[in-house]
Amino acid sequence: FQDQAEQFFRSGHTNNWAVLVCTSRFWFNYRHVANTLSVYRSVKRLGIPDSHIVLMLADDMACNPRNPKPATVFSHKNMELNVYGDDVEVDYRSYEVTVENFLRVLTGRIPPSTPRSKRLLSDDRSNILIYMTGHGGNGFLKFQDSEEITNVELADAFEQMWQKRRYNELLFIIDTCQGASMYERFYSPNIMALASSQVGEDSLSHQPDLGIGVHLMDRYTFYVLEFLEEIHPASQTNMNDLFQVCPKSLCVSTPGHRTDLFQRDPQNVLITDFFGSVRKVEITAETVSLDRGVAGFESKLPEEELATEPLKYAEQLPVAQIIHQKPKQKDWHPPGGFILGLWALIIMVFFKTYGIKHMKHVF
Amino acid sequence: MAAPLVLVVLAAVTVRAALYRSSLAVFIAERVEVASPLNAWKRVVEGLALLDLGVSPYSGAIFHETPLIIYLFHFLIEYAELVFMITDVLTAIALYLAIQDFNKVVFKKQKLLIELDKYAPDVAELIQTPMEMHYIPLKVALFYLLNPYTVMSCVAKSTCAINNSVIAFFILATIKGSAFLSAVFLALATYQSLYPLTLFAPALLYLLQRQFIPIKLKSKSFWLYTMQYASLYLCSLVVIICLSFFLLNSWDFIPSVYGFILSVPDLTPNIGLFWYFFAEMFEHFSLFFVCVFQINVFFYTIPLAIKLKEHPVFFMFVQLAIISIFKSYPTVGDVALYMAFLPVWSHLYRFLRNIFMLSCVLIFCSFLFPVLWHLWIYAGSANSNFYYAITLTFNIGQILLISDYFYAFLRREYYLTHGLHLTRQDGTEAMLVLK
Repeated sequence: FQDQAEQFFRSGHTNNWAVLVCTSRFWFNYRHVANTLSVYRSVKRLGIPDSHIVLMLADDMACNPRNPKPATVFSHKNMELNVYGDDVEVDYRSYEVTVENFLRVLTGRIPPSTPRSKRLLSDDRSNILIYMTGHGGNGFLKFQDSEEITNVELADAFEQMWQKRRYNELLFIIDTCQGASMYERFYSPNIMALASSQVGEDSLSHQPDLGIGVHLMDRYTFYVLEFLEEIHPASQTNMNDLFQVCPKSLCVSTPGHRTDLFQRDPQNVLITDFFGSVRKVEITAETVSLDRGVAGFESKLPEEELATEPLKYAEQLPVAQIIHQKPKQKDWHPPGGFILGLWALIIMVFFKTYGIKHMKHVF
Repeated sequence: MAAPLVLVVLAAVTVRAALYRSSLAVFIAERVEVASPLNAWKRVVEGLALLDLGVSPYSGAIFHETPLIIYLFHFLIEYAELVFMITDVLTAIALYLAIQDFNKVVFKKQKLLIELDKYAPDVAELIQTPMEMHYIPLKVALFYLLNPYTVMSCVAKSTCAINNSVIAFFILATIKGSAFLSAVFLALATYQSLYPLTLFAPALLYLLQRQFIPIKLKSKSFWLYTMQYASLYLCSLVVIICLSFFLLNSWDFIPSVYGFILSVPDLTPNIGLFWYFFAEMFEHFSLFFVCVFQINVFFYTIPLAIKLKEHPVFFMFVQLAIISIFKSYPTVGDVALYMAFLPVWSHLYRFLRNIFMLSCVLIFCSFLFPVLWHLWIYAGSANSNFYYAITLTFNIGQILLISDYFYAFLRREYYLTHGLHLTRQDGTEAMLVLK
């Protein structure tokens, strides 16, 4: 019973979110889209609903004109596993996957017109999984072949999330070349990070498929997917097992991880704390009567303080007053000393040229 | 002579006033050939507006005028058109008086040399007579006032007109012989745009000639006079710069004005040679080439001083032309100033070799500038190379014009002392070439 209670209080989260980002476009980066879709599939299978997943794919491989099997994205050779399926909901597609949009999703600074499916509506009891894949280098990750996000930006975005209480715990997985450089700069608490390769190493892709003509997946995500296929919502597998996935013999690169910012021991962190959406259900035998305190609750608020209509956003700022203010005109005048000096010089030049004797004619 | 001058002035003022009221004024004011980042009127207005809002006009790279211009236009900004028209008129009157005096000097010198028998016997047709020299000052004023370049520069309200007028007064003071006034005006001209510094040499040579001090490096009186003039010039420059400090209580104007002129950061196309070259250049070469281009302006002073030490006013003309060709942000206003001097050397006409070609080149290029600008910027069917080609051709035309006049001048001087019909040692006719 003690064990079960401990288990219950092990993780403080009440909901799970996932932000899955593929940053590369063009047909030959098929594997990055397949990577992201594999993680999406696992995460959805383990219980996180589409409303809690923000899926950002920079290109459309399933309907790419070069795809010999349209409407499919395969993650294993011999076309064993179609990770695209019928119910894939892509939230940010194609050119919408930009550094700016990604950072806005993370920090929540989104224009009011953004639909719910494009928002990360996490709170301070959310565990968030962030998976990124694409082409990267030492300290940066390339978006769309035209811009980059740096590790410093990412670390600052996570700090903003922490200060705005947007996560309880965060798991950051990155599968790019020199991926470990992306988590070097994190400084916010409760972040655990995994990367597919160390600084100076390249992450390699798995096998190419001769039917489709491109590499289907990257090695690290391939073995992570294999690992995740074994997980079901009730498994007790912990993070230490995830750290063992894809040793150097299989992956060629050395996967890395970072747990120093994380409060709990990785031994006690379940895979389903991040990849699944396991709700804590407390079964209680006693009945709780709810209508007792409701009336007393209502009378606490005085009538005047209740707003009769909701305040519009614009009314909070006294825009009308600011617009109709006349700008204050400050007229500049040259300093007296300057005018005096200038005219003294001019008069001196005049009299030097024409002689002092003319002075008495002038005055 | 006053009446025709007044007529010319009236005509010029009418033309300018008519253009101010027409729709062409806006079009001309925007043309890059007329308004450069240094002297555009838009920037003066912007700078004064910034000052009214309590910000230093030199913050940001908009305003590159000197504090004295700020002071001048602070009170005169409503009458800007009048100011520019009066400036042009003053320039023309200054040039008129200067050339009148210069003609007297030339004539006196000519008389002296004839009496001393320094001229060869058969050069009677080369000697300038007072009759033909009588109308030269009027022609100079006419050339300046009714030159389309000057008119456009005035209508665009470019402060180049003020610089021209200061240089014209400097020339007047030098020719009248007043070293003090000449130093003061030269200091003002240098203070506004850096390049009139090179006019120090011809002015010095002229004043030395006027004082009958021989130009020998060993002569003590030469060095004494040079030191006096140089110290007058430098002192007035220092005084003006220090005074400008007191206008805004900051030295901001020095990097904004002189740093801007010397380091050429703004590469807006103009009729000069700097913009295209530096637009194409890699960063780490640009310092070297900026230095090379700037040295190019100042470089011709010493050799020309050595060659033309007997003829300082011609030297001044050539120097003015070199400044307006090689300066960092030339405009047609600068071109107009040295073109005003061309009537003074109209007696060289028979020795000019390419004058027809060159005048055609200059006129065609002036018409092609707006055409190719339109093709490049608005129609999009040309690129900057087209405009640069016309810039290059225009500058080549100007350089050839100056070297043609230089050749003609030297040839005439040679003929004067050696006779018109030159023969070689074996009796056949010889030909003079400029090597």
